Amino acid sequence: MGDKVSIIYQAKSIRTMNPHLPHATHIAVRDGHILAVGTEQDIDGWQEAWGPLELNADFAERSLLPGFIEGHSHMMEGMFWDYHYIGFYDREGPDGTVWPGLKSIDEVVAKLKEIQAARSDKDTPLLAWGFDPIYFTDRRMNAADLDAVSMDCAVIVLHASLHILNANNFVMDAADVKGADNSEFIRRDENGQPTGEFLGQLGYYMAMRTTGINLLAIASSPETLVNFANVARQTGVTTATDLVNPMPEGSEKPMRDAVDADDFPMRLVVAFQGNSKEPEEAVARMQELQESNSDKLRFSIIKMVADGSIQGFSARLKWPHYYNGAENGLWYIEPERLGDYLKAYTKAGMQVHVHTNGDECTEVALDKIEEALREHPWPDHRHTLQHCQMATRSHFKRMKALGVGVNLFSNHLYYWGDAHINITMGPERAARLDDAGGALAEGVPLAIHSDAPVTALAPLFTAWCAVNRLSSGGVTLGNGTQNITVEQALYAITMGAAYSLKMENEVGSLETGKRADIAILAEDPIEVGAQGLKDISVIGTMVGGHVHLNQGRD
Amino acid sequence: MQAAQKVPLTIISGFLGSGKTSLLNHLLTQTGPSNGGRRITALVNDFGALNIDAELIAEKHGNQIALANGCVCCSIGDDLMRTFIEVMQQDPLPDHIIIEASGVAEPTRIAGFAAVDPQMRLDGIVTLVDAAAHHIHSKDPHLADNYAKQIAAAHLLLISKTDLADEKQRAALSDELRASYPGVPLAEITHGKMPINVVLGLNTDSEIPHPQGDIEHDFVQWAGHLSDMPRAELIAKLETLRPHVLRAKGVLRDSEGAYVLHLAGGRISTEAYARDASGHFVIIGKPQMPDAAALAKLFTRSAAA
Repeated sequence: MGDKVSIIYQAKSIRTMNPHLPHATHIAVRDGHILAVGTEQDIDGWQEAWGPLELNADFAERSLLPGFIEGHSHMMEGMFWDYHYIGFYDREGPDGTVWPGLKSIDEVVAKLKEIQAARSDKDTPLLAWGFDPIYFTDRRMNAADLDAVSMDCAVIVLHASLHILNANNFVMDAADVKGADNSEFIRRDENGQPTGEFLGQLGYYMAMRTTGINLLAIASSPETLVNFANVARQTGVTTATDLVNPMPEGSEKPMRDAVDADDFPMRLVVAFQGNSKEPEEAVARMQELQESNSDKLRFSIIKMVADGSIQGFSARLKWPHYYNGAENGLWYIEPERLGDYLKAYTKAGMQVHVHTNGDECTEVALDKIEEALREHPWPDHRHTLQHCQMATRSHFKRMKALGVGVNLFSNHLYYWGDAHINITMGPERAARLDDAGGALAEGVPLAIHSDAPVTALAPLFTAWCAVNRLSSGGVTLGNGTQNITVEQALYAITMGAAYSLKMENEVGSLETGKRADIAILAEDPIEVGAQGLKDISVIGTMVGGHVHLNQGRD
Repeated sequence: MQAAQKVPLTIISGFLGSGKTSLLNHLLTQTGPSNGGRRITALVNDFGALNIDAELIAEKHGNQIALANGCVCCSIGDDLMRTFIEVMQQDPLPDHIIIEASGVAEPTRIAGFAAVDPQMRLDGIVTLVDAAAHHIHSKDPHLADNYAKQIAAAHLLLISKTDLADEKQRAALSDELRASYPGVPLAEITHGKMPINVVLGLNTDSEIPHPQGDIEHDFVQWAGHLSDMPRAELIAKLETLRPHVLRAKGVLRDSEGAYVLHLAGGRISTEAYARDASGHFVIIGKPQMPDAAALAKLFTRSAAA
């Protein structure tokens, strides 16, 4: 203890998420951990035995919260920043550059032409991302739009949903798709000609096979990981998840090297892709991965994907399925095999996060969890349903009874809320979409997420979505029982997410003994309130006592 | 890139336990360059289930197993896109790719990969229907729709597990499938045994079969030479033979140039051929198919045409 200096940070307000001391003004940090929280006088007493406290007033006008925890994101968020962002909303890159939003297809094409004109090597593929057609209802982008950018190189536009991409004729000729069999994943015009839109994985496959760009290798590179962490840092995140990674043999070493570097600004929890191997081998691989765990890198959860997405009409729904008459969605794994995996992981004491979007899928996942628990009882398994967007109150009751937690995809309310009311679910069922209020009322442990890069990573925005339930079209989803309070939402993006990752004893609140992971905000979210939550400026973060400031924030 | 013929993709579809792996095992052990056959790359969910004899395994490397006969198995590990990328980087490319689809896969989704790959074409979708479990699968509360889609997507339907089904079940299933999918060839399969040429088609132009005769499992084969018949006329004639024709392949020429014609199940496709066409044409069908004399007559170009 001796004369080692601890730093005491003064703040305008500290929201601790510790029920015994919810509000404070000072926090003392030592060896990457929190020594004490309270008023200056409260903390003063530590000096006698623990050596000098040095006051730091850098954040005296700021508000401090536990560092945010993004319980469902993908490191792929970091992979596109070497390419060109052309989304509808302004978006900030890992280096702090703001990419302005483009408000029409014409603006997108004009921007792409400008990019093409400025490129020195005009024959290499031109890749852009973040395009979001839901905001352009007059028409859809087609191959001619992108031919206008260039006919002599591949021009590829990835949609924000990551489920669709557009290509120019250069790509379609190279792929020889025109003579190919009809596939429902190649969008065609009334004359049967491909329009340039490709659905699902097919587009990505075609892009890779015709351009030679290996998106898979880029997606798992250390550079991508660093970009991901920097995007997360700018939004106040101190722990994020890569919520499904097949972790091929040997991939853990470069990942550990990248994450353990002092300037890597967050902790990373990696969910091992549960069905990348047969159950027994997968359990063995997970045990091997856990040997690489460190303070900042954790292989602690298993991810299983059971169905698709609602907006992609691939979620499994109970009768009568989709509002617009689309046929029911897809199973991504046989329910029987999902059950086999759940049994194997439950037996081995490994926590499983199951992706379920539709209510039929949620029900089947709960059946399989229940069967696994009957064979291998485990009181605090904390298996968690991810997305779980269409769960009913009865599902939440069952989850409570089984000890299952939920991490809801609250950003959907804003980005696809209108589509769920008008196209996928209809008004009655859309009211219960991502029912955070219902989950808490039934006593289910709650977290909320962005699924970045599917939607922008920003926990305060996610909290705003869960609090306000407002769609991008300005419609409120539900009748108020589904909304949660600002306090509940802030808890969900800190302690709630920490609990879902079994890290609540380490991070998620600011109290003596926990890790010094802090979000530094320009304003106090409790004072700002429901409306302005998403607009609070994030000044920076502290991770294990290291401060990471965002550029140009005030 | 376009010069070489595209690699054919065969999708083996069907529920868990319908016999996909048995069929794949059978196909893999019937061929391979060391047996004078094609180099197959098989994409599977689980090596363990393949039950390949240890002495057949030449080399194991990551998610790939090289077989002594020259074929390769790759485990998909729930990442089909990555697996296809890896397979299509092989040099030389395989002669044929077979994928053992998962029990809930929609085969038409997988077929899309062939549609957008410059070097791959869909050869056909083979769906196995478990005769003993059909009454359960077709009423499964969560999977019945999926089951129906797999059957509807098939270019060849194989009724499996007939030894475990009673005669009534088996006959009812045959009738039901025939009535619902009149254009799709249907055959019964036991312990995965099915001639490779029925499932995968004929390999190359050089593989000249016997001109006429029975092949195993009650299939018949006819071979001939066609001269310069316009492809539209040939296709129209082939259409009249459905559903008794399972496979046909010709390396042919007409006024538009040389081309290869494939028939897999009810599905006919053509692709341009860069070399000289031999005019060689082979049909594999069921015994109900017209006899050799009738076929010879059918495929001789009428003087008027």
